[in-house]
Amino acid sequence: MGGSLLKPVILIGIVYTILKFVVPNIPGSAPLPASLIFLYLMLTTSGIVIFATLSGESKDAFWGPIQRFLTGENIGSLQVLRYGVLLLFPLIVGWQTYHSTATSDAPPAENRTIHPAPPGEYTGLSNPVAKTPDTIQQGKGFYAAFCSPCHGGKFDGKGPAARGFNPPPANFSDPTTIAMLQESYLFWRIKKGGVGLPIEGMPWKSAMPRWEVELPDEWIWKIIMGEYDGAHQSPRTWE
Amino acid sequence: MTRGMEQMKWGRAITGIGILCVLAGATVCLAQEGIAVRAPMVKGSLPADDPNAAVWSSAAPATFPMSPQVHWPNRILEATVRDLSVRALHDGTNVAILLEYVDPSEDPDDAAAIEFMVGDKKAHFAHGQPMAQVEGGPVNIWYWKNKDAKGVDMNAKGFGTLSVQPHQDVKAKGAYANGTWKVVFTRPLTTGHPEEDTQITTGGFINIAFAVWDGKKDASGELKEKGSQKAVSSWWYFRAEAPPDYSGYYYAALAVGLAFGFQFILIRKLKKGQSV
Repeated sequence: MGGSLLKPVILIGIVYTILKFVVPNIPGSAPLPASLIFLYLMLTTSGIVIFATLSGESKDAFWGPIQRFLTGENIGSLQVLRYGVLLLFPLIVGWQTYHSTATSDAPPAENRTIHPAPPGEYTGLSNPVAKTPDTIQQGKGFYAAFCSPCHGGKFDGKGPAARGFNPPPANFSDPTTIAMLQESYLFWRIKKGGVGLPIEGMPWKSAMPRWEVELPDEWIWKIIMGEYDGAHQSPRTWE
Repeated sequence: MTRGMEQMKWGRAITGIGILCVLAGATVCLAQEGIAVRAPMVKGSLPADDPNAAVWSSAAPATFPMSPQVHWPNRILEATVRDLSVRALHDGTNVAILLEYVDPSEDPDDAAAIEFMVGDKKAHFAHGQPMAQVEGGPVNIWYWKNKDAKGVDMNAKGFGTLSVQPHQDVKAKGAYANGTWKVVFTRPLTTGHPEEDTQITTGGFINIAFAVWDGKKDASGELKEKGSQKAVSSWWYFRAEAPPDYSGYYYAALAVGLAFGFQFILIRKLKKGQSV
């Protein structure tokens, strides 16, 4: 047995491999979500079943081994596997049911947007401070005084005061933080702080100070230059 | 080795792997998370006056990292307390929350506080300060200071608005031993003042935050930590556990039964079909 079932199994395996490992590597593509892969595999399976049951002969060749396996007739030592499947299937059904009906023990899921859209007046502002070794150095000095307790002397978000805060202070050396943002975005975030975030940014949780009440704008722009330089990142531009 | 034996070996291996997967899934679900304080329900009275009562061991501790308060002036760049262990219990009427932390010295000005949001509106963890794009609500603060030896029930909605409530529902008691403070706060789960007090219903998660002041004085006689200079946490979660609900197990048992029944009928039908 198994010959007629081997082809469908191999086919499903190939489709899965393509969806999971080949598609994400096509230029301009992205990894597929598990639910979409599942859907494609279901479609493949349906196709196989329709193809295999087109004629009476192919139908018997396809269902025959499955029926023999389920009924356990003349399958020899596969009997152990059969008992395993017959035991495992109800257990999986029970497990799924438990998880879909049991009350959740986990705190509410938090879909916090890390980089929400800034207010209109902050988009496209350019840094008015000339970028010179001096101004960058000044910015780094301000950074060390005001920002490094949380964001860290190494710009890695691991300052000595960071540990109690949730969400954690941003790690500027991570390419998904300031490297993805324009200088004007940082200006907004530093000036208005955590309480300036829109609702999707969960402002009530953020420990980022509202620096506009303590620092002049010019210092903030210098801090931004110091941050990019220190974290070895460049601001995102439209060019 | 014969082919049959080999197949049997594979069959056993696959069955074993399947069962292991199911068990592994169960273990992952049972693992405790450190982001929420869970207060189990106890029968009998709560240990409101006794931070060392044996019954506290029936509540799993949750540990929260603390930061020096650097969010607004006056800041502090280093605070004594770095971690806070929290346990909680409730009896269906009252809730008791035990804070436990290392403090090398017992001082009259040693203090601790728990903060909650009040009502449905979100409140910023720093005294419910105003937010630019979100209308926030007030916070309810339960405060204890060693030399006062009592709990104080307070509210705030922004810096400089901290006020003691006219009605005091919170009790607190601290015990210092071996370099460790244990402070118990107690309050009814619900009060008659929903505008000022957080209302705790069993089974639901609410936000909770903490603050601790080391009341030690420096060489000049100034308090090391006072007012906004303290150790703080941002928001985490608290839940007073509801009485256990076993319905999930009943539904699962029913589903297992149905699945077995389905298999039984299917195989019987197949066998009949073959014999015909």
